[in-house]
Amino acid sequence: MLNSNHPDDERLSALASYDTDARADTSLTGHVSSCDRCTDLVNELGALRASLAELPDLVPSRPLRLLPEVEAPPSAVGWMRRIFAPMLTAGAALALVGMVGTTMPALDGMASGGASQAREDAGAEDLGGEAPAVVDGDDQESVDDRGVYRSAEPEPSSALYGASDGDGGGDVDTAGGGNDEGESLARELPAERSPWPMVLFVGVAVMILAALLRWVLVPRAG
Amino acid sequence: MTESPTPSRRTPPLPDEAAVIARAADGDRIAFTQLMEHYQNACYGLAWRLLHDADQAADATQDGFLHAYKAIRSYRGGVFRSWLLRITANASYDILRRAQRRPTTVLPDPEEGAPELPDIHAVNPVEEATKSELYRHLEVALRELPPDQRAAVVLCDVYGMDYNEVAAMTESALGTVKSRIHRGRLRLRELMAEHRELFTR
Repeated sequence: MLNSNHPDDERLSALASYDTDARADTSLTGHVSSCDRCTDLVNELGALRASLAELPDLVPSRPLRLLPEVEAPPSAVGWMRRIFAPMLTAGAALALVGMVGTTMPALDGMASGGASQAREDAGAEDLGGEAPAVVDGDDQESVDDRGVYRSAEPEPSSALYGASDGDGGGDVDTAGGGNDEGESLARELPAERSPWPMVLFVGVAVMILAALLRWVLVPRAG
Repeated sequence: MTESPTPSRRTPPLPDEAAVIARAADGDRIAFTQLMEHYQNACYGLAWRLLHDADQAADATQDGFLHAYKAIRSYRGGVFRSWLLRITANASYDILRRAQRRPTTVLPDPEEGAPELPDIHAVNPVEEATKSELYRHLEVALRELPPDQRAAVVLCDVYGMDYNEVAAMTESALGTVKSRIHRGRLRLRELMAEHRELFTR
């Protein structure tokens, strides 16, 4: 749009926007100051710019998500919410295993083997650490009909039996008394100490805890 | 077809803006929300004028908020509104580029987005009604511009960005940007010729 007598309109637009190059162009500013057409054009473009700069902001047509949720830092509540499902699953699995173990005698026997062994070990300790000789029954001559150890050289430990006579040899009665005590201790252990009820109990407890966590942490309607 | 946005007055800075920005930079999410809530109309207005699509403008505004949230610790003073508008303009341009790679055939409504109602709180209702009329015609005329000229005029004349900023944002040469602005302005003048009486100096 270059007129023969007028500067390029884009130069006039530059002048209207206070472009430093255009304002420094004396031939341009000189022409505009003496030309009504160019003065009007610069004024109109200036008014247009001013109006554009006043255009109002616009209200979004739908509510905007102001805070990016993807950037939310992990909270303790969120962490606890995430462990709810694994916790419930683990509790249910434990409870199931415990229930099966409790109701099936074969499994119960397998698991209670450890308890029986512990019981035997406890009895053996009470008898001076000679457990196999006492309970295996292979050395019947050294065990009487009550299962009391009858050693040819009984050396009851004073530490174990609390003997205080200091003769070092001790006698059968002393040893016999010690064996009675050990036997009673062994009897105190449950005959069939199965772990399954405990597994069942722990499983149910974990499930209840998970349910409580969910109830406390997950927002409810109303 | 998208709903027409409602005009609102230009957003002034928050009274205690520096303190709110400092709190937001320290990770105060409430302070950040306060800033975004305050400037959402400004950001949405820019996005809408660049994209002329309500949904895309809302997406661009929210993308801008996400970028602002990530970058607010790197904010080093200056006019916060301009900083946020630059981010929104970049987000709008990202959407525009994606749309250009996957063109659609949605036809624009020339009246869409034009301000319609005068401000009922205006001191001088006649003057405000005249301005509303002027803004409505300007919005319609802006939509008539070729996209590159419209973007350059919107960024430079409506939102006050300098040539270099516009060139960086539109990935164009400085001379190209100047030319687009001046040609766009001259085209707008032609389009507004019938409504010349609405302009005031």
